[in-house]
Amino acid sequence: MSAIFKRDLRGYFSSPLGFVFVAAFLIIMNLAFYVTNILSGKENLKTVFSVMLYGLIVVIPILTMRTFSEDYKQRTDQLLLTSPVKASGIVLGKFFAALTVFLIGLAFTVIQVIVIAAFGTPNMGSVIGNYIAVIAAASVYIAIGVFISSLTENQLVAAIASLGIFVGILLMDFSYSLVRADWLKAILYWVSLYRRFNTFYLGVFSIADFFYYISISAVFVFLTVRVLEKKRWS
Amino acid sequence: MIEVSSLTKTYGKKRGIDRISFVVEEGDIVGFLGPNGAGKTTTMNIITGYLSANSGAARIGGVDVLEDPVEAKKKIGYLPEQPPLYLDMTVEEYLNFIFDLKLVKDLKRKKHLNEICELVGLTDHFKRLIRNLSKGYKQRVGLAQALIGNPEVLILDEPTVGLDPKQIIEIRNVIKNLGKNRTIILSTHILQEVSAICERVLVINNGQIVADDKPENLSALITGDRKLTVRVSGPRDSVRRVLRGVEGVQYAEATIQAERGSYDFLVEAQPNVDIRKPMFSALARSGYPILQLKSMELSLEDIFIKLVEEKKKSYVSTSKQGKKPKSDLHVNVSESTSADFDDIAPLVTKNEDEPEIDVSRTDDQTF
Repeated sequence: MSAIFKRDLRGYFSSPLGFVFVAAFLIIMNLAFYVTNILSGKENLKTVFSVMLYGLIVVIPILTMRTFSEDYKQRTDQLLLTSPVKASGIVLGKFFAALTVFLIGLAFTVIQVIVIAAFGTPNMGSVIGNYIAVIAAASVYIAIGVFISSLTENQLVAAIASLGIFVGILLMDFSYSLVRADWLKAILYWVSLYRRFNTFYLGVFSIADFFYYISISAVFVFLTVRVLEKKRWS
Repeated sequence: MIEVSSLTKTYGKKRGIDRISFVVEEGDIVGFLGPNGAGKTTTMNIITGYLSANSGAARIGGVDVLEDPVEAKKKIGYLPEQPPLYLDMTVEEYLNFIFDLKLVKDLKRKKHLNEICELVGLTDHFKRLIRNLSKGYKQRVGLAQALIGNPEVLILDEPTVGLDPKQIIEIRNVIKNLGKNRTIILSTHILQEVSAICERVLVINNGQIVADDKPENLSALITGDRKLTVRVSGPRDSVRRVLRGVEGVQYAEATIQAERGSYDFLVEAQPNVDIRKPMFSALARSGYPILQLKSMELSLEDIFIKLVEEKKKSYVSTSKQGKKPKSDLHVNVSESTSADFDDIAPLVTKNEDEPEIDVSRTDDQTF
């Protein structure tokens, strides 16, 4: 697993992909910071975090589109699948490599916290809670993106399909406040990645919601493992 | 070492391989010979655990590939048809990655990688980006990858495809040397390759093993037909008349005008007759010099047809020896005259998609 993790992480930065991802992520985040904090002179960073959650819709597909598609295309999946590594090791290696690139991008946003801390008094507890929540939420996006990538050998298809699914989740979130039926509300609450974030937005660290994100990530990692194992039977 | 029992794999309705069984002993070099699409790659992919068979089992050193894949895969070095290379890495980075991936523990990393690079001739390209390497060198990196960790079993899918004649000889020698203390299965659709490297040949066609034999016996079969191409300098019609007048000649016809004033003739002898000497004397008497003489080798397709026929016969006689052809030839023409062309042929034929690769004809074109 560690060999695949290291290779993929290196792969992100030996091609423009890792840099494009970090750049796109930071452009969105710094614009959000500029508008919500600098221009309006507020010291509360929570809006930046919720913008981050929407920004992930666009940037995560860049990150995950090639995880498996590239291997299928170059036939290196054959190498991975005939090496003494379990399918779960392959998937986790790639998943954590993508997550690490996200964390590298996220690390740059700490500058915003430092800026706010220099001129005001941000609620550090809320900031840390939000960081943890955003990482957990991003891991769901990444797990879904990796899963989609494992289904196709075309990177573009993987990127667009991931984007489509993320937008679909977003639309379901919008419709939450529009529907009346309780059962439908309950389902939408379960599917929506954004409702769950509200508690963090309000400054509460909800263990239940944190584990919700982790479990959904685990489900998609598991599905990806199944896809790889199923390939043998094709 | 490798034990395969009645493997069957279907792709939808199409049958990939059909009840393939064989055993490879430790230290053997076994060649899979067959046209494209015969099931060579499928069989190899199943042995290496990349694909699963619909039925049957493959065991490596007693370990079932399906039951304990990690343990079985540790014993195997696999070079797939298309070498699985990360183009954005240098050779050094890539081989180090493979070293980690294969969980090699008991070998010194640097020394081991240097030894392998030395062996496959990559030392000068160690620091280069794989993307920038030529096809031949990419193939070498693929081979190096398979060798890392000194696996007991090597599975090589068409290891010499895309190499130039000099490289082909080099790589064949490397494989031969490796075979001294390893079990190797390699696949090819080039007849000469099998006789150059392998101690045993499994001929696969349409997903079934049609022959399991030593290459010597197979090459006797190759020259089983008495067909010759002869290039003679002289007017076409009169040369043909002379050729037809030779005792034992069944058929003679001009094929192409090879050079100015000389023609290639396809000559077929009656069974069990060596017509070369009388043909030479006859042409010499008439004053038409022979410029070139060689045996027409059979194409793979022809051999399969022969093998299948032999197999049918052996069923009738219910003798396992029945599929071995009786070699009653006086001289093996193909080995003496076309040995120099052997290593050129793969280069010429490498990009052909059709399974029928008539080696002798491509020889003619290159010279």
